[in-house]
Amino acid sequence: MTTDSLSIENSKPNALRPISGQTYAGFTVVALSLLTAYFISRTNGDVAAIWVLANLFGLTLQRARFCFASAFRDLFLFGSGHNMKGIIIGMGIATIGFSAIMHWIIPNPAAGFLPAEAHILPVGLSVVVGGVLFGVGMVIAGGCVSGSLYRMAEGYVASWVAIIGVIIGLGALTLTWTWWWAFSISNEPKVWLPSIWNLGYTGAIVLTLLGLLAIYLLVTFMEYKNGLFTPQIKKKMVIAMNFDERVRTTLDPIFKRGWPIAIGGVVLGIIGIVMYTIHMPLGVTGELMRASQLGLGWMGVDVPVLDGLSTLGGCTGRSGEPGLLGHTFAITVGLLPGALIGALFAGEFKIRLPKQKRRYVQSITGGVMMGYASGLAVGCTIGAFFSAVPSLSLSGWVFGLAMAAGAFTGTQVIKRIG
Amino acid sequence: MADEQVPVLDVRGEICPYPMLKTNELLDGDQKGIQVLDVLTDHPPALSTVPPQAMKRGYEVEIDELGAGEWRMRLSKI
Repeated sequence: MTTDSLSIENSKPNALRPISGQTYAGFTVVALSLLTAYFISRTNGDVAAIWVLANLFGLTLQRARFCFASAFRDLFLFGSGHNMKGIIIGMGIATIGFSAIMHWIIPNPAAGFLPAEAHILPVGLSVVVGGVLFGVGMVIAGGCVSGSLYRMAEGYVASWVAIIGVIIGLGALTLTWTWWWAFSISNEPKVWLPSIWNLGYTGAIVLTLLGLLAIYLLVTFMEYKNGLFTPQIKKKMVIAMNFDERVRTTLDPIFKRGWPIAIGGVVLGIIGIVMYTIHMPLGVTGELMRASQLGLGWMGVDVPVLDGLSTLGGCTGRSGEPGLLGHTFAITVGLLPGALIGALFAGEFKIRLPKQKRRYVQSITGGVMMGYASGLAVGCTIGAFFSAVPSLSLSGWVFGLAMAAGAFTGTQVIKRIG
Repeated sequence: MADEQVPVLDVRGEICPYPMLKTNELLDGDQKGIQVLDVLTDHPPALSTVPPQAMKRGYEVEIDELGAGEWRMRLSKI
């Protein structure tokens, strides 16, 4: 089988492609988003910076088609490690950057303090139950929380349903938090690798990177056993004639074609590091938690005081942030125009309606499961996994393993749904 | 082009993993062996999940963009 048996070029030569309406719409969204950043910056510079970074975050997720649900599910379904490899690369990059930042905050990890804002979360029943439930939910819904968010912007109607489900699930968790706190979470330790077994930063970084390498090799071995390989993409010769065509074909790898997953991982890792230097690692559920509590308030339900949640840090721990235009707002809402820009410039925006009604049921059910789970585990695939492993937190690994178990279960479910 | 004779699997509206599951089901279930098949999708990730599976089954894949957010993957038996 030759590598040129696959071509994912546009069949029409680039030189003849007219500038589409979607491209003009893309420019409009860029302008509006920058204008939004400008108005936010007049009151809060940090929030404006997070807004712009969140735009890049959404753009990267969309361009690299980054999908945590697929990363876990496809390993079991098809033995494909495509997305998982990108995630591992991203976490590896972020591990190095996060460690530098944490070392600057806490030079001596044995002193008994944890670096502020790092996603070092409790390890115990909550993260195991949360991880399994989240894994099942994301496979049933066909996307995790961040995946559903950027697909909302691409025009996937089912993803809107999934996010509504997530908000409902977070509401349910809010109402049962006090029980979980008393039953388990209040006794769960936060295990920070640099502070145990005299590992220090060096030991913890080496351990984390070796762990990531081991999973990378395992995933590649699974691909090999399943006879899968990553096809090479044949590049067609494009003869760009005039200046305008040359400019546009130069930008095609960024705005027209999807990014290689490894590039997506690297960019996400760097965005995570820059985010942490501004205030906090990446996480998207904090704002959804706020939305769910707002919803409960509108329905006249008393939102209980969430014992201890704000002491945990992590995504949902920040949901108590006052004011509308907070950091959690900027990161979660800011990724939407970013993903929309990516979809429009690529000409991929489309309102997509599932033909089968049961897909909506899958979206809402999976969404509720993910919402409840992300509240319990204090974050989703981004906050409790992609930002927790680089925080040198044991919780990230436990959440990841539990999600794998959940995704395996979810795979068995969707095979039967058809 | 005798496109009318090429069987079409329309999975537009479906998201992962269904475009790939349904393509595989069709390819594996047909006893006579499908020579050529057009898979229509509006889910970009399917463009990177369907081809490796089809290639594993001995097909070559050509992808054409049909319009905004829609693609045709033509699978042909090698």
